[in-house]
Amino acid sequence: MSASAVIEVESVARSFGDVHAVRDASFTVNAGSVTALIGPNGSGKTTLMLMLATLLRPDSGTIRIAGHDPVSDPRAVRSAMGWMPDVLGSWGTISVRRTLEITGRLYERTQTQSRERAQQLIELVGLDELAEQPTRVLSRGQKQRLSLARALVHEPSVLLLDEPASGLDPAARVELRTLVRRLASEGVAVLVSSHVLAELDEMADSAVYLERGVTASDERIEASRAQSRDWRIRAVDPAALAAALKKLRIAASPPDHLGTAVSVAGEAEAAQLLAKLVGAGVAISAFGPAVGDFEHTFLDLSRTTTEGGPR
Amino acid sequence: MTRYFDTLGTIVQLELQQRIRSVAWLVLVSVVFVLVGIVTALLWFSITAFGGSVADSAGVYSTIIFFVLLVGTLVTPAISGAAINGDRDAGTLATTQVTLATSGQIVLGKFLAAWTVALTFLVASLPALLFTLIAGGVPGDTLAASLGVLVLELGVVAAVGVGLSGLITRPLFSVVTTYLVVAALSIGTLIAFTLGGLAFQSQQTQTYIGIDYSVGGDFDPVTGYPENIVCLEPEVNTYPVPRFDYVWGILAANPYIVLADAAPTSFDSYGNPQDLFGAIALGVRSAQVSPELNSVTDECAAAKEGDTNGAYSYETPRQIFDRTVPSWFVGLLIHVVLAAAALAGAIARTRTPAGTLPTGSRVA
Repeated sequence: MSASAVIEVESVARSFGDVHAVRDASFTVNAGSVTALIGPNGSGKTTLMLMLATLLRPDSGTIRIAGHDPVSDPRAVRSAMGWMPDVLGSWGTISVRRTLEITGRLYERTQTQSRERAQQLIELVGLDELAEQPTRVLSRGQKQRLSLARALVHEPSVLLLDEPASGLDPAARVELRTLVRRLASEGVAVLVSSHVLAELDEMADSAVYLERGVTASDERIEASRAQSRDWRIRAVDPAALAAALKKLRIAASPPDHLGTAVSVAGEAEAAQLLAKLVGAGVAISAFGPAVGDFEHTFLDLSRTTTEGGPR
Repeated sequence: MTRYFDTLGTIVQLELQQRIRSVAWLVLVSVVFVLVGIVTALLWFSITAFGGSVADSAGVYSTIIFFVLLVGTLVTPAISGAAINGDRDAGTLATTQVTLATSGQIVLGKFLAAWTVALTFLVASLPALLFTLIAGGVPGDTLAASLGVLVLELGVVAAVGVGLSGLITRPLFSVVTTYLVVAALSIGTLIAFTLGGLAFQSQQTQTYIGIDYSVGGDFDPVTGYPENIVCLEPEVNTYPVPRFDYVWGILAANPYIVLADAAPTSFDSYGNPQDLFGAIALGVRSAQVSPELNSVTDECAAAKEGDTNGAYSYETPRQIFDRTVPSWFVGLLIHVVLAAAALAGAIARTRTPAGTLPTGSRVA
């Protein structure tokens, strides 16, 4: 393991009775990086998050967060880790500001420290106008922001975000992305789970794929990355594009409003294709992968799993 | 250590801010305030209507204390019975658990807050209590003992409620179970006591030896007995009697009896208790007295010795008090142990990282 690995998970398993939520999860997250946790519904993402957040005890395997074991020393982990749950809970009758102040006090900060930090966070997540309102009047998106602020109260070096973007409007998503990137640049290790893979593409440096409680190995991810995938091409004159592709003997899907999809293996080949098309005088207006990196890998991995491939 | 209490204090504050600022609480406290006021006024006027003296305010005082215990034990389960599982349902328990607050601090903080809220109902009835105190007639030790036990009993109900809310997954069930515990202690003990006493029965033999008034000459004008006392044949009757003396211990666990028994009783010149505490305590004390299974009432022999009471002995309540044992500390100890066990169970159940989870529940 590299020296800067702040989250280290090795062969972790956890079951609830007969339900094996997490079977075998292993991965690391380095300081100053954002890692996406990707998996379909019920693949064990939240269970894994809960184990990292010191709330659930793993049945087997080891977890290290900032060098501490969540089972034997939860206190050390808690002072280094901020957790934003996927369930939105807030103390309904208490104001946004008080919520953050109380959370600060629960992290053993002084009154003054808690008050100052609360003000900083209110500005950071943009809840200034609602600061004195009881939290029950907040909308879903505003509660998400409060939840994020609460996770940041004690300036953690590890941040666990469980579905942070659900319920956020596009502008707020961009803000969230900027904030997460900034925290990473300040050295925070971020693990973020989401269903919206396109969004993770823009936010995360790397990804952990979780399928039925098992993390995909690096080799498998590499293999699926190397596979040919669809690229989408749009030309000013679709007929000219179709003719050029035919000339290059490249099979293409029938064009739709987004353009034509062609199968390309790897980025180098894509670049060559683009050069050839431009060389052939086709006016290309858009050229890019049909789906994001994470989505491609995710779909590919889940396809091989459901087809009975190695798990 | 200061840090421990700092965090504990924050939890208590958090709980109080959530509960005391609620409209429901304000309404309840106002209702209690008005109700206690009405009860006090009615009691006062009914006693003065019967020509009672100032000393009767001890009776009013004890009745109000019982009333506050009744209201407190009815309201406290609703306040405390969903403290932990309600938070889990609302998604606010886990976010507290990931802070540096331990499960011990969380559970104890919730208990202290619930107790405080329960005590606000006592505070709401303070004006009425003060009125009876100013009117006089309430001895200081009775005041201290009754208030002390009342405060403790409300704490016990708060602890049982918070404890069960940690042990039971569904808020509704834990609130209902808390009510059932209160009912079991308040009413269940009475039922068990009565049925138990009736179940254990003994045969009592009463022998009565009377005087044959048809012989013996003239009646003595002073004693009312014949000059020459001739005894009748002994009359023997047997019948079953319930043995409450076997089961009186059950009553010790009743909070009302703990309160009554703990408060020192003042007696009037006839040896009768002056307040409701004494009247109820007398009940449990009398139950301790085992019935005489072979009683012989020899009126004849007594008459021969010049005893005009006819061998009938009578014990005043005061005498019964003096020869029986107080049981309130046993009851209070049972309650405190129950409360501590409930809280300890809740702490163990909310400990994180969690090993086993209650079925059908999520951590967060």
